[in-house]
Amino acid sequence: MSQSKKTNMLYVGIDLGTSRSVVSASNGNRKWVESYVGWPKDFVAKKMLGKRVLFGSEALEHRLALDLTRPLRNGIITEGTERDEAAVHELIDHLIEMAGAGPDDEVCVAVGVPAEALKVNKIAIRNAVAQHAKKLMVVSEPFSVAYGLGTLDNAMIIDIGAGTVDFCIMHGTVPTDEDQRSILMAGDYVDEQLLRLLSEKHPEADFSLNMVRKFKEKHGFVGESKRRVKIEAPVDGKFTEFDITNEMRKACESPMPAIVETVIDLIAGFDPEFQESVRNNIIVAGGGSQLTGLDTYLGEATKQFGPCSFTCITDPLYAGADGALELAVDMPEEFLEKL
Amino acid sequence: MSRHSDIKWTVLRGVYEDNAGIPRSCHGKGRSRHAVGPQPAERGSGYRRKAVLVALLALVALLGINFRLVTVDGAGPVAMQVVQRQFPPLPADPMNLLASTGDDPVTDSDRPAGVEPLQAIRDAAATTGHYDAMLGRLGIPLADLFNLRIQTIVIDPGHGGIDPGATGPQGLKEKDVVLDIARRLRDKLARSGKYRVLLTRDEDKKVYLKERVAFAKENRADLFISIHINSLPPEVKHLNYVETYYFGPHTDQRSLELAEKENHDSDYLMGDFREVIARIGDTVKTEESKELASSIHKRLYSNLKRRNRDLMDARSKTGPFMVLLGVEVPSVLVEISCISNQAEETRLSMPAYRDDVADYLKTGITEYLEQRTYRRSIERGKTQHVAKQENQHAIRRD
Repeated sequence: MSQSKKTNMLYVGIDLGTSRSVVSASNGNRKWVESYVGWPKDFVAKKMLGKRVLFGSEALEHRLALDLTRPLRNGIITEGTERDEAAVHELIDHLIEMAGAGPDDEVCVAVGVPAEALKVNKIAIRNAVAQHAKKLMVVSEPFSVAYGLGTLDNAMIIDIGAGTVDFCIMHGTVPTDEDQRSILMAGDYVDEQLLRLLSEKHPEADFSLNMVRKFKEKHGFVGESKRRVKIEAPVDGKFTEFDITNEMRKACESPMPAIVETVIDLIAGFDPEFQESVRNNIIVAGGGSQLTGLDTYLGEATKQFGPCSFTCITDPLYAGADGALELAVDMPEEFLEKL
Repeated sequence: MSRHSDIKWTVLRGVYEDNAGIPRSCHGKGRSRHAVGPQPAERGSGYRRKAVLVALLALVALLGINFRLVTVDGAGPVAMQVVQRQFPPLPADPMNLLASTGDDPVTDSDRPAGVEPLQAIRDAAATTGHYDAMLGRLGIPLADLFNLRIQTIVIDPGHGGIDPGATGPQGLKEKDVVLDIARRLRDKLARSGKYRVLLTRDEDKKVYLKERVAFAKENRADLFISIHINSLPPEVKHLNYVETYYFGPHTDQRSLELAEKENHDSDYLMGDFREVIARIGDTVKTEESKELASSIHKRLYSNLKRRNRDLMDARSKTGPFMVLLGVEVPSVLVEISCISNQAEETRLSMPAYRDDVADYLKTGITEYLEQRTYRRSIERGKTQHVAKQENQHAIRRD
């Protein structure tokens, strides 16, 4: 590999996610922000907030005063409005600022995006990054995770995000469309299910999507669990304790049949000679990989189709951005110059 | 280099090629079985492609000679002559039919005036077999005559799966863009709550033309709209135009070439042609397809032209597309623009632009549907007027 890298080049890996966007840079900066972008609704809001645009938790906190959007809902730039495209621009501006590029630095960026966005929004994303980076690449999120982990051959990556679950089979080259799948039953879907189940069982309590998302992130599990899930929610303004173990399990397991079906289908479509290797090398990434008991549950659920081994990664937040950074750093100079 | 470094090099090269818009040719050893085999460009080069071409040429010749002689029920020219001898043509003015049948137009006070005359025409046509006259001389669209309503709209995003369709210079694929536009169009049309709107594919998978046609039939489609994006050869890749097709003989060499390209995986057999040729005389389909194509084209072109002054108008016209032939209901094939034009490819990659395209398509379809409603109300108005006159005559006679 060509190693003649420029000294003033800052390499940046970005994971542009539906729920969280993460940046990892060659200067050691590693940061993340929730993928919310908000503009003050009027001049009063602008004066109060003192900012042209807000991001992440700060934007969520002031959401009533903001025109708020999450531009990659469902894994693609969704609304089809100028506003969502502008939001992607703002988010990328913010992430590159967080990477801490100096004024003399030449910036090389690799961006991992949900697989569906790669198909239909690739040029839009390239345009959004282009003003900050002389060299840039856009790849799918599961691919950047695979690259970072070094699982480039006979492996499957399942990236359970908020908007989509992306599947990608690695076979020693860049995955083609046929090697990748996406399903929409992901984290947001689980949140909606949980909210519905809780609202049905406890109509007296006030639950919101934001609250149930936090419950899920803290207590989410699949399969058997001896631990009870107890949370507090307001009833007529007074916080009351609820046992939501059954609802939590039901909601978290709701996308599992679709995930299992897609895994089996992708393996079945793979070269039979290498199916065994893929079965034993399935990596689960993304926020959803942190559901307690997920690897065991998926192993059990796929047993009838032949034993499969699932491994949940330990650092799902940074895995995509770190992989993208590694990709940018590894890219030979002869290729980089033409990008 | 070690094996791992080898793989890494291949992967990095692949990422570079993907991002530099270079078509990749290398595939790993474990490549998915789905993707093994001839690539889309090669698929149409065998016997089937030739067979489709020969059949198309035969079909076009047949269309030129016999188009006006084939009847709705598939009767040939000789049978038609017999029918014509036995059943003289209807009066030139359809409203005169009332007088010739002697029906009293206002027999039921509960029934809205004006329903009877049109019904009388339908009944008379059905019982006497005056199809020839009905097809050519009534001056009323047959869909109106038979009061045909639109309930189910099938949208057909072209290509999919291993067949990417056209690919732009920066790598944007036709299959992805048309699927996104089709989904947006479905949502916009469905929002009115008046229509059932279905997609022939709602994911990135290969669907053969025959399967698309079967889907439309199984779901009892009333309208069929196939969405594609054009691609031009390198020497004219700077051009960009909109064109809309409904089924019929080709109007120029380019239409024939385009039809051949879009038909390449038709999966139809020679034997199927006997059945499909018989459908060409389906006058309802032709009349309505023409109206629909014209309405969609008008809206799409005029709106896109405002955003791109170089956009050219390749008109709405007939073309021998297999998917349009197979579908029995009014059907059109829209070539939204040319992805081979780099500026257009960039526009197509923008969700806002695709959403606007879906809006223009929706407006074209809605205007066609509203026009039908208007036409029908005019027909009702005419017949009400006749009924009123008849009533006044009757009162005066009394």
